[in-house]
Amino acid sequence: MNKMTPTDLESMEDSEPVFQRMGLPGYDEAFDDNGRVRSHWAGVMSRFAQMSRGELQLRSDRLARRTREAGIDYDIFSDPSRPSQAWLLDLMPILIAAAQWRWLQTALTQRARLFDAILHDVYGPQKTLKKGIIPPELVFSDPTYLTPCRDILPKAGPLRFYAADLARDDNGLWRVIDSHTETLAGLGFAVANRVIHSHVVGDVMRGCNATRLAAFSQNLQNALSRHAGSENARIAVLTPGPQHQDYFSHAYIARYLGYLLVEGGDLRTRGEQLCLKTLEGLQDIDLVVRCLDGRNMDPLELYTTRLAGPAGLLRVNRDRPNLVVNAIGTGIVQNRGLGMHLGRLAEELLGEELMLPDAPRNWLGDSNDQRYVLENLDRFVIRNAQEGTGRPGQAMLGQEVRSMTSEQRDLLVRSIALDGSRLVAEEELGFSHAPVWQNDKATSRPFAIRFFVAHTGERYEVMPGGLAMSVDRGRAVALSTVDGHTRDVWILGEQDQQPHFSLWRPRLENARVERSQRVIQSRVADDLYWIGRYQERADWTMRVLRSAYRRISEDSGPSTEDLGAVHRCLSGMLADERGPVKRPSGTNIDVVEGMCSRLLSGSTSWRTLSVVCENLYRCANLARDRLSFEAWHTLSLFRPGDEFMNELSRATSQGAILDMLDVGLRWLSAFGGLTHENMTRNYGWHFLNLGRRVERAYNLSEVLANLFADVTDGEDEMSALRLVLELADSFITYRSRYRIDPSLPLVLDLLLLDQSNPRSLAFQLTEAMRDMSAFPSDKPSADLSEARGLLASALDEVRQADVVAMATPVGRKRLAELVRGQLVSLPQFSDALARHYFNPVEDMPHRVHTRSEAAP
Amino acid sequence: MKFEVSHRTTYRYSEPVVHSQHLVHLAPCSVANQRVTRHGLEIHPSPNRRVDWRDTFKNPVTFLEIERSHKELVLHARSTIETSAGIPTLPARTTPWDALDAALATGGTIDLDVVAYRCASHATTASLDIADYTRQSFPTGRPVLEACTDFMRRIYADFTFDAKATDVSTPISVVFAKRRGVCQDFAHLTLAGLRAMRVPARYVSGYILTHPPPGQPRMQGADASHAWVSVWSPEYGWQGLDPTNGIAAGEEHIVIAQGREYNDVCPISGVLLGGGEHSVDVSVDVAPLP
Repeated sequence: MNKMTPTDLESMEDSEPVFQRMGLPGYDEAFDDNGRVRSHWAGVMSRFAQMSRGELQLRSDRLARRTREAGIDYDIFSDPSRPSQAWLLDLMPILIAAAQWRWLQTALTQRARLFDAILHDVYGPQKTLKKGIIPPELVFSDPTYLTPCRDILPKAGPLRFYAADLARDDNGLWRVIDSHTETLAGLGFAVANRVIHSHVVGDVMRGCNATRLAAFSQNLQNALSRHAGSENARIAVLTPGPQHQDYFSHAYIARYLGYLLVEGGDLRTRGEQLCLKTLEGLQDIDLVVRCLDGRNMDPLELYTTRLAGPAGLLRVNRDRPNLVVNAIGTGIVQNRGLGMHLGRLAEELLGEELMLPDAPRNWLGDSNDQRYVLENLDRFVIRNAQEGTGRPGQAMLGQEVRSMTSEQRDLLVRSIALDGSRLVAEEELGFSHAPVWQNDKATSRPFAIRFFVAHTGERYEVMPGGLAMSVDRGRAVALSTVDGHTRDVWILGEQDQQPHFSLWRPRLENARVERSQRVIQSRVADDLYWIGRYQERADWTMRVLRSAYRRISEDSGPSTEDLGAVHRCLSGMLADERGPVKRPSGTNIDVVEGMCSRLLSGSTSWRTLSVVCENLYRCANLARDRLSFEAWHTLSLFRPGDEFMNELSRATSQGAILDMLDVGLRWLSAFGGLTHENMTRNYGWHFLNLGRRVERAYNLSEVLANLFADVTDGEDEMSALRLVLELADSFITYRSRYRIDPSLPLVLDLLLLDQSNPRSLAFQLTEAMRDMSAFPSDKPSADLSEARGLLASALDEVRQADVVAMATPVGRKRLAELVRGQLVSLPQFSDALARHYFNPVEDMPHRVHTRSEAAP
Repeated sequence: MKFEVSHRTTYRYSEPVVHSQHLVHLAPCSVANQRVTRHGLEIHPSPNRRVDWRDTFKNPVTFLEIERSHKELVLHARSTIETSAGIPTLPARTTPWDALDAALATGGTIDLDVVAYRCASHATTASLDIADYTRQSFPTGRPVLEACTDFMRRIYADFTFDAKATDVSTPISVVFAKRRGVCQDFAHLTLAGLRAMRVPARYVSGYILTHPPPGQPRMQGADASHAWVSVWSPEYGWQGLDPTNGIAAGEEHIVIAQGREYNDVCPISGVLLGGGEHSVDVSVDVAPLP
């Protein structure tokens, strides 16, 4: 392919068109054989032709930035040694002309109807199996065929979601290369791509009259509400969790459609109900949109070794067949071996001729096919018949026989003889190609498209768009992308488009639904509480580091007294065991700097800034469907592997570190402001706030213990007072109030007792009490009483403090007791809170069973 | 023969179980040569919900949900069963194992209830080694029941019963490598081999009458639940083969449930919230009645 690339476009005359025929093998989407632009591409081409190369690159960069900000990326918590692959969205769309689209719509909905009919037969009367139109062993060998669903699926209504991967062969004919009937198959990626693309090239899109997605999505929404039984139905998207590669897509589509995003652990069956574990107890769920493989949906009746879905779901589902879409068991029709039988099945079940066939394949469970393939082995690629849900672009490449050693071939031949019913053989297939703008250059790349079909109540509809991915023509037989390069798919309309309306703005009739769904899962409350804690911990740690670096990098050269307070503060934070901090001896810049770099990123302690930031990002990622986009963006600064976090571990110059700390603090305060201004004051917000209050109270108590528990000389105490005012961001308040140098009683008054100072201990504890009283309390427990009691007595202690007496040398003992008491009771409070609201015991279901072991 | 079977299972938990759900296959079913005259299942603590139905393999199954906090769960099944010896088989007269395709599709209709058991399931997927081991009993054209009986006897001869060698999740590849296991392991291994040859074979869960050493009385509760396989031939339909004992199943074998593998017919399985560590005590007594 490389030798076909054109001469360097940069050296060409400006009058030369940016995009032109490349003469690559395969059908050219944009140019005919004479190099003329095909008519449906003319509009887009002329609009891009009006842009300078600089403009094209600018927009391309903006797409990359937006993609990154949206967070479409590979899971960052998986193996860090694996190079992470970015999701790339090209400036150029794939275009489908109106007439072509009409044909594709008919053909794709026919396939959806066909799969629906096959499913109802295979889980119902099984006529097609009895007659051998579908080889029974193809079905019975496939682990996605779930026999316990035979009394459920036929009553569950039509197959709801179907996605098809299409490629165009060298004659320009569309062929289906894979079908997906198990889950939503990356619908969220396609919608996200469209939203981002329309932000950057919306003008071109409008100019070309590309069809919008909103009408389709709205029909889908309405259909799902009807299927669930009411307009107020509580609908949940069930995801395997953030460790799953498609988690972004699950979270995105849940948010886009306005549904709850839940994990298996959030759900429980009880009697005839499927329930969500919320802060207010168990609440009924009316419909589950599953993004989990069918066989993992119920550990009691299905695949028993994984606890992914809620145990007992099938039993509930048996009485309420509408409860789950796609119905459990639908994965069977994505079996690749079915492809060659679809023509006959269409005749038999629909009485129609199949419009859009699969790419040619041989199912190796058939003895004739097996013999033919073994005789011509070099021509084939061998693949699993059933591949599971498959992330878009991640289809397995298969075993290419011609590049095998003779030992590998022998093994393959034996495997085919044994396991043929689980394998297919396919020949290479053509892919068409279309223009892209990559690395500052126009070129053309082969691709395949995933189209999405959904049943919207009366009929099947195809989403007017899709997810196109660039493939390697030499290797791919399915949607396997090597570099994560994707494209939006524009369907060119014949009529003018309806005015733009987006699902992000709910209409009046579904606003009510929205509100009723604002329940909080216990798990999410837990995550939000820890976002609050980590946010505050990161903020505090950055302030400590900033103060320390400022002191050691001052031009005038610091006095040792000045560093004494910083030293005590740092060594207190770095000490794993809490206890009286020893007076440092021989303080010098090197020691303090060493401590700073340990606190910055040099250790793995829970106090280390890089660890704190990583944890903050992790929790934010877990609860991101509860954060606004802006709030999420501010925290995505701390994504491991990104610039900020890399700099944090690399930076050595004090100036650079100070700059970074300033940046970090600004983003954290932006996040604080966003949650303060933009978040509804629901339970979630109160948990976030509570986390902050607890953490701030803890840090403040700790620094007071480290700096003032023991009496020090006047000069040192003065620098300690300045430090603590700086850390608590209360210097200006103090100055404006007292206009004298800091004195301990006044500082203690400001930082312990002053309820109007948002940095004082009394303020934190009062706010925490307020948050606690906002929570549901209809289920009293010993833990809840303990948590409330701990908080109330902590506040009492603070309020009764006599700051004047505590400031005297003899009163210091009392001060130390007070703040160290807080350091004990705050963690106890946090634990009791978790026991009551977050239910750690219940999160771990496990299985018991007996085995048969009669002796001979 | 007539039997009274008592099957008592006791779970003890170190922490209270707050919610539990169980699937129970403990009710013997009336199948060929077997009649169930009485069956009862006692559960303590008594469940908040109990649902009885037939699963897709036509076995009776019971669902239990217990919402009260408990640290001990007892399930006690008692059944009275009558069995009779089937008609004697002539294995050498059965259809060759490699000619079953035609026999499975008569009059243009494929017998799905049989074909389903030709396909490997999760726990019965054979490795190439297991397939090679099996093939020695399956020369071209050998009558299917003769080949299966030979294969079953080889497993009996080559493998040692050892309850410590495996547990409920041990894959058959390990059983095959160690040449050790319990009846459930031998049943799975036999099924894997037979299905690699595309012979229809199913898993049978049940009981077997044990005989005390001569001159000694029967020990109460010392029996256990048992497992064996059942293979299909056009001549005799399903015929039980017991690789743990090296014999064909007869009137001393009592069938509870049949499926593709253990997981389809597991006597008791459950998912719990809470419970901590658990121990389980099973006491089975198969008493012949006069």
